[in-house]
Amino acid sequence: MAGSAPQPHTKGGKKPLDAEINLVPFIDLLSCCISFLLITAVWTQIAGLQISSSGGPPDPQQKQEQTIDVKLLLTEKGYQLAMAGGTVEIPKIKGADGTPGFDRKTLADKLKTLKASLPEQSAITVQPEDAVAYDDLVNTVDTCLGEQLRNVTVAPLN
Amino acid sequence: MAIVTPGKRPGERIERSRVFGKKFARSKKHGYASLMLTSLVDMFTIIVIFLLMNFSANGEVLYMSKDIKLPNAYHGAQLERAPVISVSPDAVTYDGRQVAATDDLQKGDLLNVPELEDALREERRRYETIHANDPDHPFRGLVNVQADRKIPFKVIKRVMFACNQSGFGNINFAALAKTPEAAARKVAMK
Repeated sequence: MAGSAPQPHTKGGKKPLDAEINLVPFIDLLSCCISFLLITAVWTQIAGLQISSSGGPPDPQQKQEQTIDVKLLLTEKGYQLAMAGGTVEIPKIKGADGTPGFDRKTLADKLKTLKASLPEQSAITVQPEDAVAYDDLVNTVDTCLGEQLRNVTVAPLN
Repeated sequence: MAIVTPGKRPGERIERSRVFGKKFARSKKHGYASLMLTSLVDMFTIIVIFLLMNFSANGEVLYMSKDIKLPNAYHGAQLERAPVISVSPDAVTYDGRQVAATDDLQKGDLLNVPELEDALREERRRYETIHANDPDHPFRGLVNVQADRKIPFKVIKRVMFACNQSGFGNINFAALAKTPEAAARKVAMK
């Protein structure tokens, strides 16, 4: 029998001391669990970056905070961070494959500085040019969210 | 003819032979082989634990397509169930139904996408009818947009405009969820 342990025969007709566990139902249960979990498994984890688009209905939970208007422009030259104090240019840098790409590390540093000086600030408007790829837009929004700028609005540049 | 057990059956004379007969002598082997099930149960248990760790109660929210390669995101939230607009290099689809060609959206200066707007308005009307007497589920205007990495913002802009026109102001950009640890590992590998 499956899973049966060796049973030493005791003298005098006494009951064997070793217990016998029937593993067959256990294996059946595990097989069913594995089949169910394999069928229902989600192998790709999808994340959602929530943004509000300009002109959309205002979020009722959004509080009026003492913040400044921060705009982040995505142009063919790179980032342009515009706020009340002035404008910061972050030019594109060469990536690993040699093609110029947006400098997200510098952007993260600038946003960190902004957040440190204005802890209440949570709103930012991202304005990409028409030619900017979805990948760059998502990575930029992701960088903003990473620096605790939670209210990201995406608006066209022109 | 009698039914016999399959196997080698020498002739009667050979079977009786003292020299060759031993070759075909049948030993009294036990008919049942015992299986070692412990390792099998161990393996099954490990697989079940692994699959349970990866289990997601939400299920598939998006229609994953071969044409759409999603970008990575490290600070995304869990995607909620909502209408899905997919933008592949070929077509813009709403809940799996094509509403426009991507090439067409890249041309011209117009912003509106009438077919997409109609579909979204219909969805909104349907939601509001279903939840007419349900104050706990007001219309939030949530929509999921999944697009290929290389799709230009001009197309996304028009999709967003259509969403806005139909009252879907809360847009979720779909991306592949990555952990910051994975990013650090990637940098270290380089």
